[in-house]
Amino acid sequence: MKIEWTKAPVGRRNFLKGATALGAAAALPMGLGGRAMAAEGGTLRVRSYGDLQSIDPAFSKGVIDEEIHASIYNKLIQYKPGREWDWQMDAAAMIEQGDETHIKFALRDDIGFTNGFGAMTAEDVKFSFERIVADETESPNKPDMGPLSHVEVTGEREGTIVLKEPFAPLWSIALPYITGNIVSKKAWEAAGGKATTDPLAESGPYLRDSWSPKEKTVLKRNPDWKGDAPAWDTIEILPIDDENTAEIAFEAGELDFTRVSLGSVQRYRDGVPNGGTLLEYPSLYYTWLGMNLDHPKLQNKKLRQAIQHAIDVPSVLEAAYFGAVDPSTGIIAPGLAGNRPQSLVPPQADFAKAAELLAESGETNVTLKLDTLNKTTFTTAAQVIQATLAQIGITVEVNVLESGAFWASADNEDLQLVLNRYSMTPDPYYATSWFTTEQVGHWNWERFSNDEYDQIHTSASQLTDQAKRAEMYQRAQDLMEESGAYRFLTHEATPVIHSAGVVPALRPDGLALLRYFGKA
Amino acid sequence: MLLYALRRFGLALLILIVAVTVMFLMIRAVPGDPVQIMLGPRATPELQARLTAELALDQPVWKQLVIFYGNLLQGDLGIDVFSGRSVTDIVFQQLPHTLWLILGSIIWSATLGIGLGAYAAAHPNTLIDRVTAAISVSFVAAPAFVVALLSLLVFAVHLQWFPAIGAGEGFWDRLNHLVLPAFAIGLSWVGYIARLVRASMLEVMGESHIRTARAFGINERRVVMVYALRIAILPVVTVIGVGMGFLLSSAVFAEIVFARPGLGKLVIDSITTRNYPIVMGSVLISTGLFVVSTALADLINAWLDPRARTAN
Repeated sequence: MKIEWTKAPVGRRNFLKGATALGAAAALPMGLGGRAMAAEGGTLRVRSYGDLQSIDPAFSKGVIDEEIHASIYNKLIQYKPGREWDWQMDAAAMIEQGDETHIKFALRDDIGFTNGFGAMTAEDVKFSFERIVADETESPNKPDMGPLSHVEVTGEREGTIVLKEPFAPLWSIALPYITGNIVSKKAWEAAGGKATTDPLAESGPYLRDSWSPKEKTVLKRNPDWKGDAPAWDTIEILPIDDENTAEIAFEAGELDFTRVSLGSVQRYRDGVPNGGTLLEYPSLYYTWLGMNLDHPKLQNKKLRQAIQHAIDVPSVLEAAYFGAVDPSTGIIAPGLAGNRPQSLVPPQADFAKAAELLAESGETNVTLKLDTLNKTTFTTAAQVIQATLAQIGITVEVNVLESGAFWASADNEDLQLVLNRYSMTPDPYYATSWFTTEQVGHWNWERFSNDEYDQIHTSASQLTDQAKRAEMYQRAQDLMEESGAYRFLTHEATPVIHSAGVVPALRPDGLALLRYFGKA
Repeated sequence: MLLYALRRFGLALLILIVAVTVMFLMIRAVPGDPVQIMLGPRATPELQARLTAELALDQPVWKQLVIFYGNLLQGDLGIDVFSGRSVTDIVFQQLPHTLWLILGSIIWSATLGIGLGAYAAAHPNTLIDRVTAAISVSFVAAPAFVVALLSLLVFAVHLQWFPAIGAGEGFWDRLNHLVLPAFAIGLSWVGYIARLVRASMLEVMGESHIRTARAFGINERRVVMVYALRIAILPVVTVIGVGMGFLLSSAVFAEIVFARPGLGKLVIDSITTRNYPIVMGSVLISTGLFVVSTALADLINAWLDPRARTAN
């Protein structure tokens, strides 16, 4: 476990090169001060909704794996805990955007890999990033790296990330998230390029101590970690699928931090047991009712608009989400560039207008099938939609599907209405990517196809001007809504509870950044 | 007895093959592209094609079945699509947790159920018998998931006597973690076994060899515990054998509610994600467990009661 490495000349001058780096570096101690002071040891027990799938960032299945990866690996930059999306320095001592396609970086000189794999170098960064986009790796996370061309190594700890074209999401979803984890080139090569569930070499503030499948992942402090000391000696991550079980475990004192069900929010607003605290964060998920534009029954735009106006979003949210969430205005959540202040069709139903549109459509005796997942939230929402559409004379048959069958709906030519929910990363590019013409037959189940939308999706990701990007993504959502194929419902919410002794460090969507968790 | 045992295990093997084959066909009949579900929306077409070929999903179903049995004969249950680990390792890592849970449930429920039933039979139509009957029926009627949640709230949250989640580490800690889930899924079996033993005992107590034993002046306790109970317990042995199957299914929800590792949870997660190798590996082991336990119950029955051998 002993790490040996030599210091490289990452000088002060390099550090001072980037204004961004300066800002982030200044913010770093503020974020960690509380933790450092509270660092007395102890065990933090947190709930994850699933179990580890892969220790390899190239094959990470998402948040569950990333909670572990982010603790045992380092990235150039990490998300900053707080209510607004931002990042902070991690393995990078300096990072700056040279021009639109070049990002220069210099690594800290005090980070090393375990198991004798030496200091972290720019070669490791090059290896980690390039293997994500290499065809032979077959990484499902390749799209996050966008148009990455290669990484130029300019010194032992210096390099330049080179893009084929500008790519704004690099800063929001590539570098600080799954694909940004830096692994040891030597360790991976020694293992034949593949890692499954056992770490080959770690470098973060924590090391994975043990993993009992379906039971527990234990992280322990990395004794060779030279950065700010993490607050907790040990972190136990317990995979608990059922939120009610997690709530009971918290109340029994067996968990320090967990997401809770939306149905329990009101109860916890009145008080969290054991002196705990409820925190309510918005979520990035987006839920909507989609209409298949290719289906013969839904060819009439006036009919689709009538459906949009007849769905009373507040009623759906009250019944299905216990009133714990807000209506959404589109697919891009508040806090992200491109979030619309309001939707074109107000959340409240306008039955008079809906009836008028239905009359104009000339359609009578309309009967439609609504496909939905077999989860209580969605079946409840479907029933409310069924009831509200009945008020204008549209009959809806709710078709409840098991998850496997539901997620195979891309091939279902008879798909009519669908209640859907997609996850999201903190960049609008990720949301718009599923509704392009290219995605018809894959994840664009509405078969929405619009040249202007496709153009926006391609060009907005290349802009660094955030205001301009926001405007373009807002226009993209206008186009979706104008097609009549979408009735946006909600971004849901992430309510979490934590025990009195814990100071959680969370992303603005309520997801845990475990390495930054502190003590009260 | 040996011939009977061979015949019984031959039948068990046949049942196992039929059950696994049916499950193999059923999972493939479920709608949804397993590769797409397994790999998620962002998998490259090349990766999807490779996995399809690796799992032989591009072959006709009959050929997939032949491949599956071919691999099985070589002791190869395949590789988990997500983690790249051996399915055999994954399944056998989870199996002890489920076995612990089932055995724990059977041991406590059979011990208490047989005791209650025997006691009630020894005091028929008394207040004790009626109270025992009421308790037994209440236990049978109590849905296991309600018992699980109530026991969690009372014993884990309020009294904090037992842990709420997990399987524990080390013998005593594991035993401590076993109490509530074993209690939850075993409770209805207490009532069921008690009623069964009582009825069986009352029938046996009226038989001539019991009357003869009493006529010889043998102590009543010895008559009940040795002469009557040995015969009366036969249906319980069979029921426990079959009960393994029911307890296996109960273990699924217990593993979810108590956030325990185990085969049941593994199967549920794998079916949801269409992880065929894990599904088949888990089904094979749990079906094997069920078939072996029923076969063992039959053999114990035959050993205890020679009439069973000739009847079969």
